[in-house]
Amino acid sequence: MAALTKMAAERRALRRTGDGGKRIEHLALSLAGEKYAVPIAHVGEILRLPPITEVPRAPRDVLGVISVRGRLVTVVDLRRRLGVQEAPFDGKTRILLSDVGLAESIGLIVDEVHQVWRFAADEIEAASVLGGEPPAHIAGLGRPAGGNGEVFVILNLRPILAAL
Amino acid sequence: MGEGGSQDPNDKAREEFFSEAQELIDGLGRDLLAIDEALKGGIVPPDAINDVFRGVHTLKGLTGVFGAGRMAGLSHELEDLLDDVRLGRVPMGSPVLDLLFQSVSLYVRLLAVESGAATDPVLELDDLLTALGQYSHKKPGSRPGSGAQYDLDPSIFGVLTEYEEHRLRSNIQEGIALYRIRVLFPLATIDSALENLKTRAKPLGEIVTYLPTGSSTGVDTIELDILMASRASIGELRAALASAGVTVDAVPKRTSSSAPIPVTPTTPIAGPAAPSESPHSAATTAMPARMEPSSQREAAAVPPGEVPSVPAAAAAPTGHRGSQGPAASRQELSLRSVVQTVRVDIRKLDRLMTIVGELAIVRTALSRLAERSRAGTGDPRELLIELGRLHRAFERHLSQMQSGILEVRMVPLGQAFDKLGRIVRQISRVHGKLVNLVVTGAETEIDKLIVEELSDPLMHMIRNAIDHGIESSDERVHAGKPAAGTIALNAFQKGNQVVLEVEDDGHGMDRDKILSVAIERGMLTPDEARDLSTRDVLSLVFLPGFTTKGEATDLSGRGVGLDVVRTNISKLGGVIDVTSEIGIGTKMTITLPITLAIINVLLVDVSGRLFAIPLANVTEAIVLDEHQVRTVETREMLSIRGASLPICRIASLFGIPRRNRVQPRSFVVITELGERRLGFVVDEVLGQQDIVIKPLGKSLKAVRGFAGATELGDQRLVLVIDAAELIDEVLASGETRLFALAGGHHASALQARGGEA
Repeated sequence: MAALTKMAAERRALRRTGDGGKRIEHLALSLAGEKYAVPIAHVGEILRLPPITEVPRAPRDVLGVISVRGRLVTVVDLRRRLGVQEAPFDGKTRILLSDVGLAESIGLIVDEVHQVWRFAADEIEAASVLGGEPPAHIAGLGRPAGGNGEVFVILNLRPILAAL
Repeated sequence: MGEGGSQDPNDKAREEFFSEAQELIDGLGRDLLAIDEALKGGIVPPDAINDVFRGVHTLKGLTGVFGAGRMAGLSHELEDLLDDVRLGRVPMGSPVLDLLFQSVSLYVRLLAVESGAATDPVLELDDLLTALGQYSHKKPGSRPGSGAQYDLDPSIFGVLTEYEEHRLRSNIQEGIALYRIRVLFPLATIDSALENLKTRAKPLGEIVTYLPTGSSTGVDTIELDILMASRASIGELRAALASAGVTVDAVPKRTSSSAPIPVTPTTPIAGPAAPSESPHSAATTAMPARMEPSSQREAAAVPPGEVPSVPAAAAAPTGHRGSQGPAASRQELSLRSVVQTVRVDIRKLDRLMTIVGELAIVRTALSRLAERSRAGTGDPRELLIELGRLHRAFERHLSQMQSGILEVRMVPLGQAFDKLGRIVRQISRVHGKLVNLVVTGAETEIDKLIVEELSDPLMHMIRNAIDHGIESSDERVHAGKPAAGTIALNAFQKGNQVVLEVEDDGHGMDRDKILSVAIERGMLTPDEARDLSTRDVLSLVFLPGFTTKGEATDLSGRGVGLDVVRTNISKLGGVIDVTSEIGIGTKMTITLPITLAIINVLLVDVSGRLFAIPLANVTEAIVLDEHQVRTVETREMLSIRGASLPICRIASLFGIPRRNRVQPRSFVVITELGERRLGFVVDEVLGQQDIVIKPLGKSLKAVRGFAGATELGDQRLVLVIDAAELIDEVLASGETRLFALAGGHHASALQARGGEA
């Protein structure tokens, strides 16, 4: 099912931006009212929220473990991880299974998953526009041409997951 | 956690590198042990030395490709030394062998460094490289005198590689007779025919070289002269090698030390007669190899694909390296290999595949059945019978599958034993004791995971036996025992368990000495000591901090004691026992489950959450009588049958909020780890279940107290409690309790959110 969701999203994205160019696919998602984007290559799967088994004594960001087709996956609340206001889960809450080449795939809880955007190089602003020393997990800002001026914070999942 | 399909190809290649390197290193260890054995019998085995040389060479290539620079560097130096050894420029003896064994241990550590599992042994590597470098300096400049007493064509020496020449000389020095075997091979089948001949000749002696004679024998045949050294008589050789086109002649010994004269050419028994050409000219004409003799000959001397590069002369060992020997203080080394792979006999996989096929048939039948029930045709009772039949078939195949997969996880214990041979040699040498390791049952199979976890405990036990058990040679001879001590390592299967025995024929454990040490260290009072049975006394050695040697030696007594061994064995669900007799020896027996993959657990409920406690650690479960609980120094103790049992409430240990409803009664699950006991207080005991345990991800490694999780039938995950770890933790300090309480705070917040999901 998750794979289907992903494929459908990809197809939609393909229809919108006709040219094949050097565009990089990003999955848009919301978290605490903000729009974020994650390189789709770093997302293995999108899951609905299954029952999560809490692991006592785990770090605060870790909600627990789930079983994905027989494999144990640690689930991290991305709101907690990024230190933003917490909120209850609802029907739109999803788990992204990360795939960033680390030894382990981690499940990240996000508020909602939207469509796939294909950012051209000139649609991505460097994180330095934020001024100061931008945090390592922010790779830049995406401003897609067809996005009605919407701005996406592009997340680099590696630093978010590596410190676990 | 392994990543199935989406694995980075680089990771996969790295994994393969580790597994291959590990295998090569293990192989080196085995070969070195074989050389050690042979040397004890006064033989220098050229084959084994060549094997080591090739192993190091392959390792050099492999590590070079993977950018494991220091392993490659070590291999390079080793290769030089080994080349000198196999060419006879450096004699093979204990000093060289020591260096080689050290290199193997260092390889293991360097490999662990590569995998990020160990700290860098920089100093030791430098020391070893220095020691190796010194050997390269010692090379004698000129070759020792040639085997001029044989009537060999001097031109032959021109085409022999240095290695072949060395082998020829050493055979001559050992007084082994030389034979010339002339064979005619059809070109089409020369490879297999030559291999065949080599196989037949092998038991009789050593083939030094083979050269084409160059006789014009026809377009599709080739004639070879094989120079062979053998202790067999010419008759035996002829009998063994006789076939069409083979002649065997002895190379005559020269009676005087006159100048070499050409060898009389031999005439083949069959085949086109060779024109009477002198072997001299034959060798000349037949030798395109003359241009590049060494590369050609090397290629012939070793199997294809393993052609050793001829190392650049002396490989420039740099300058004056310090003369200090190898580092005296070695870090605590671990024998655990860094490899997580299992090599599987393809037939085992085939069997699994067959079962999968059977399961597919069941699935097809099931979908047909589902269709029939949907269509409403057919007798419902008949459908039910069919369903029952399919269910049974499914169950049968599933259990076959399960046992098949367990079988795949099984590896012979020999994998752990091989490494121990190395350790025995190393330790006994350091300690100046003569020790033989006798292994039986190396083929006994046990779960791969257990084999890995066993290496270190076994190593400590063997160290212990050498250090504390086996006496010095003088003492042994004085006591009427053979000068060399024996450590027997026996393994055998007993039902669903594997028994491992480590037995030494040393001086045994002295009951009184153990008792006096235990009393001295305040482990027990003299009064208590009087009541102990011999078995109880012996098991005192498993207590933390126990050592009977006055001071720590390099080998044992450094805190890594038998208590750690026992804890590790307990973690594997095994038990360790010791028996000993003064003057006869000591025997430690480990009993282990065959597999860790499926364990029997007790399911318990704590405030509505399920946990599993491995039954291997559980002795009993009883109803908690709160009236029997006393608090001693913040620790709760339960009086049970006149004894005190420390208890630990899982809810507060894990910070799980209490449910509002009144808990009518609680239970105490009593667990045991060696001598220590702890009762876990739970709300309900739900029953036993066989489970497959899965490890928690790396991200949760820092979380103590859980061995993993398992899925119950209904998709629910249940955490499996690591009883051994919790017993350690709870009984070690009272502070952990505070820590757990602090952790409980966020747990309750989490609970609230989870409820709204």
